[in-house]
Amino acid sequence: MEKIQVKICAGTACFVMGAPQIQALEFSMPEDLVDKIEVTEVRCMNHCSQGKGYNKGPFVEINGEVVEEATMEKVLTKIRDLIAKEEEEKC
Amino acid sequence: MSDSLFIEIGSYQEHKASESCFGDAILSEKLPEEQRIISVLSDGLGSGVKANILSSMTTRMAMKFVESDLDLVRSAEVMMQALPVCQIRKISYATFSIIDATLEGKTRIYEMDNPQCFVVRDFQQYHPAHHEISSENWKDRVINVYQFVAKEEDRIIIMSDGVTQAGLGNPKYPLGWQRDGVWKFIENQVRRHPHISAKDLAEAIVKEALTKEKDGKAGDDISCVVVYYRKPRKLLLLSGPPFDEEKDHEIAEMIDYYDGKTAICGGTTANIIERELCLKCEMDKTSFDPNIPMASIMPGIDLVTEGILTLTEVYRMLKEGIDENKDNAATRLAKLLLDSDKIDFVIGTKINEAHQDPNLPMELDIRRNIVKKIFRILQSKFLKEITVKYV
Repeated sequence: MEKIQVKICAGTACFVMGAPQIQALEFSMPEDLVDKIEVTEVRCMNHCSQGKGYNKGPFVEINGEVVEEATMEKVLTKIRDLIAKEEEEKC
Repeated sequence: MSDSLFIEIGSYQEHKASESCFGDAILSEKLPEEQRIISVLSDGLGSGVKANILSSMTTRMAMKFVESDLDLVRSAEVMMQALPVCQIRKISYATFSIIDATLEGKTRIYEMDNPQCFVVRDFQQYHPAHHEISSENWKDRVINVYQFVAKEEDRIIIMSDGVTQAGLGNPKYPLGWQRDGVWKFIENQVRRHPHISAKDLAEAIVKEALTKEKDGKAGDDISCVVVYYRKPRKLLLLSGPPFDEEKDHEIAEMIDYYDGKTAICGGTTANIIERELCLKCEMDKTSFDPNIPMASIMPGIDLVTEGILTLTEVYRMLKEGIDENKDNAATRLAKLLLDSDKIDFVIGTKINEAHQDPNLPMELDIRRNIVKKIFRILQSKFLKEITVKYV
């Protein structure tokens, strides 16, 4: 199974809206996800300026899908849903 | 100021362990229009608040007199007459050492009752010509005047007697550290670290003096000033996208051809440089800190950071001191600024719309405001040579 790509926006607006709490994912990854996800911080992905709203951050992309007002809980749920879905498809 | 020579001034102080304030005072100023620097160190009679008042008054008066090129004997008389008289000793007294130097190298040192200064040239003591002057009214107060032309890599070290007498009362140093001991330490430091900064050398001398003291506690105020003549360390700091997009390439070239260190502060600015110079930028995870956005690595650029939050934190640290235990983008930028002598700011004036959203926290100031605060403090407190260009 290909690793799920998690991109966390490290732009200023996302940072003040709470991106560092999600960046922590990279340094203390839950055991069940260690081999399944790849976390990267990226500079501003421009989701804020391209219609989603500056105050909707932090933005996180999970396999290309944008999660707005992201929190650690929201991101983990989204990742686990994706894994469950992929495993279901395999069966 | 000229590109050929730069004068770095660094100082460090410890106050007497039993006191809560410094009895010695240090005051340094740069007079850019005259390409001249003046640094004054004074040791007030006694210690604590009383000594602090005497030494602070002395440094302030000496600075004004030297700055105005007034006759030194007359100036010294005025200073001695102006100082308050000690109730116990019935005299008014504070020592002084003054360095008056120009970027052409012309240097004068005036010394009254402080330990004799060190002039370091080619790792050895250089003994410049000197003469003594004294006033008719204060015959016991002799002022030593040294005059010479300094060369690149010369250093001048002035200190209070807390340095040379460090260790008095400690059985291991019955006569204190003494001038010879101090010189041996200085010689060793400059041989081992030929480019040691003025601040680091002053700090090393004072900290070494402290190790001579009984229980490591300062028995007197210990102060040291180092003046270091050297080639300027240049830094170009680029922050913010230009108002006019057509200037993107111009700022990229500026950074590409700069003859010194370079730093970029701002994600969009980094994107512009990355695009214009076809470079690849990656996040530097070793700089992770939950409170400061991470730095990035871009080939050929010494430091790449986020913009406004990092600059705001840098300003706070310049005011309050750098947290030595942290290694984040802001501490790296603050250190880079303090390690540079001549800093060229190039500030893009395009407003980042994202930061103006009223729903975002108020800490997102306008770039120009925070940069203005940073370069003012770098000029006034750290005596850096600054240029600012808005694009």
